[in-house]
Amino acid sequence: MEPLIGMGVLALMGVAATIAGASEDLESDVGSQSNPNSQVQLAPQMMFPHRIYNKAVSGEPPSNALMCAIGATGAAVLMGEFNLSPLFALVIGALIAACVHGTYAMTSTMGRAASQSRFKQPVYLDMIRSHTPVIMAYAFITTFCVLIISYMMNVVLGHPFPLPLLAFIWGITIGAIGSSTGDVHYGAEREFQQFEFGSGLNASNSGNIVRFAESGLRNGYDNSWFCAKFGGPVTGIAFGMTVFLGSWITTVFDPAVSITRGWLSAVAGIIIVFILIIWNRKIEVAARNNYGPYKEDKPEEEAAA
Amino acid sequence: MSAGGDGGGAKSNLPPNTIIGIGAAGGLIGIYLAHFLPATFSFFGGIAAICAIVWGADAVRRVASYGLGTGVPSIGMIALGMGIVAALFGLSIGGVAGPIVSFITAAVIGAIIGVLANKVIGMGIPIMERAMVEIAGAGTLAIIGLSTVIAGTFEYGAVLDTVVSTGFIAMIFIMGGMGILHPFNANLGPDEKQDRTLILGVEKGALAMVIAGLASSINEGLGPAFVTILVGLTIWYLAFNKYFGFVKRDAYAVVGTGLLPSEEELQ
Amino acid sequence: MIDLAANFLWMFLVVIGGVLISWSVHFVPVGGAPAAMAQATGIGTGTVQLAAGAGLTGLISAGYMMQVVDNLPLILASGTVGAMIMISVTMIVGTWVYVYGVGCVPSSAKVKVDPITHDRQDLYVSQGTEGHGLPTVSFVSGVIGGALGGFGGSLVYYALLKVGMGVAEVDANMIGLVAIFAVGIFFVNAVIPSYNIGGTIEGFHDPKWKKWPKAVISSFVATIFCAIVAVIAILQLGGL
Repeated sequence: MEPLIGMGVLALMGVAATIAGASEDLESDVGSQSNPNSQVQLAPQMMFPHRIYNKAVSGEPPSNALMCAIGATGAAVLMGEFNLSPLFALVIGALIAACVHGTYAMTSTMGRAASQSRFKQPVYLDMIRSHTPVIMAYAFITTFCVLIISYMMNVVLGHPFPLPLLAFIWGITIGAIGSSTGDVHYGAEREFQQFEFGSGLNASNSGNIVRFAESGLRNGYDNSWFCAKFGGPVTGIAFGMTVFLGSWITTVFDPAVSITRGWLSAVAGIIIVFILIIWNRKIEVAARNNYGPYKEDKPEEEAAA
Repeated sequence: MSAGGDGGGAKSNLPPNTIIGIGAAGGLIGIYLAHFLPATFSFFGGIAAICAIVWGADAVRRVASYGLGTGVPSIGMIALGMGIVAALFGLSIGGVAGPIVSFITAAVIGAIIGVLANKVIGMGIPIMERAMVEIAGAGTLAIIGLSTVIAGTFEYGAVLDTVVSTGFIAMIFIMGGMGILHPFNANLGPDEKQDRTLILGVEKGALAMVIAGLASSINEGLGPAFVTILVGLTIWYLAFNKYFGFVKRDAYAVVGTGLLPSEEELQ
Repeated sequence: MIDLAANFLWMFLVVIGGVLISWSVHFVPVGGAPAAMAQATGIGTGTVQLAAGAGLTGLISAGYMMQVVDNLPLILASGTVGAMIMISVTMIVGTWVYVYGVGCVPSSAKVKVDPITHDRQDLYVSQGTEGHGLPTVSFVSGVIGGALGGFGGSLVYYALLKVGMGVAEVDANMIGLVAIFAVGIFFVNAVIPSYNIGGTIEGFHDPKWKKWPKAVISSFVATIFCAIVAVIAILQLGGL
């Protein structure tokens, strides 16, 4: 392949991945999914009933893998059976996936609330009606962008895996990244904004999520509004970096040219990883110095211990 | 034959053995009907998958109530991981007995993993061995059922050509897995009811059937695909309405809109 | 035609791959749900999910490399590096969120000093939590975990594809079959260790890490059966 074309494809994939990552995180914030949702689930039990969507569609990796695999199946059928142009096929595929995801989201929020009837958590139909389309819209963007990445890898870069399998794996990856990065912003900060910044979540405050907004009751829109400022974009950067760097090393050092080039690509990858380790250490040291120790060092206690 | 559909709603407390019967017998019969009948009837594979998914969901429900130490989804993933290997193995050597060979293989691998989980890892869940056998078996039947919808047959070569090489197997993997793990996960809570959980399994199985029907249009043509999608959508609609009815029955309140329950109400 | 003996080497490699995947999960620092609330050290997600995310990303890299070259060390290296990149990018962005978004200092509650940097940890754990974020030792452990997972996944894929190459030409059927088997075996071996560690672990400095032989033995036995079954299914490609 021409190096320039390779670079162009890579850039487009990186962009699509960045958008996908951001929308994936916001989708899980507006509906409250994955690990932070454990607090939304716990809240009614602690006498804090709420009006927050409880989208317990398994963890994010399986649910995103589901969307992406369904979207890719739809797209593959439309391209194979109806000879539709890839752009239309990917859009319609993503639409099918978003609809399926909508039913998963609705059944889980209704089911979880119904299973908490002894804690007097009502099912608010207006909240379900207003949030589900937003969840589906974010799911559509995520699926469409992941399908673009998979399609480009499959058709342009010549990856041997079939389209639905590639989309499935990228779905697992984007879900893993989304639940590891952006969700923390939602779970550790937005859900517990009423407590002191930087304290983490004291175990005794578990379940005491913020339920009231600036005006009225807090809902998923408020959460995605907040997370769109930091959690969503960084998730986008994370997935964009994963897709971009993972392919960049083999585009710059093309193993098809020679084995040596292939080894250089591995070396380049390891150098990137080392840079990231050092970067993490720098942030850690800066945080330790700026935020300071939270406790006094007591030598006598140490001696006793 | 919407045996899976009626199964959940009829009584509030179905014993495990009844559900095993529905899942295993319904699953195998459906797969064989889809295999031997003309292409128009390949939707029976989807009904087989629904039976298997309901069974799997019930087994997940029984084992996950012990607490796995990690999320409910993990057990669905291991089930389908075993299931996919066992399913394709059985179809490759079994010939016409393929689904049965797959089913037995899955049960054996599931039993081994269940024993390892209890004896070596020491999870201490009394029904772990049995649940693993059931979940692996259900996952395998769901995979074969959905594959039969797409291929119109469970012959190894045809399945490879139409399901594996096109990558639809990944969709089947995750739709079957989510169908098995989602019902209990979505209804997790102290007031979970068996019928509500199982009807959700029917609903998710029907969705899997619709998507598999869509994928089958490449191989089987538009007619049979249309039939499968139509049957799937009908089951989905009925199951969803039934599920919503159960939600209305079980929830503390289903309100159009409203404020949070007051302090006095919570006392 | 089913000639298992001739494929013993490949089956052995599949088992080794499965065992490595199982071992790798013990290195990945995941704090599960509490970590997502900055209540425990590690990445705020599930073990299976993160290990699968990293390992399968490695599988994509290895699958691409296998298309271009037939050089075992290079294919394994590309799978390893692909998974390492995914997991370190995830962890560095996780650190951004913990430090800049949530305002926590990366610290571990399981050890008093970080074994790599020798920094005191207990003074930086805020009240009522079990640590938060990713101290250097957890980050390095995660990189090792990603590397082992990517290596194991690629090894499974490579060995199974070699079995197929022995009986038939490589085509879309074979690649699809081998890839989905690799995914299936990966999931089996990612879930077994996560039951072993109970869903959360901080890294190789965590006392729970010492439990790894149990999961590795279980995975060893389970993968033997999966490998036999998978190899027989792939060998049937020759008869079609």
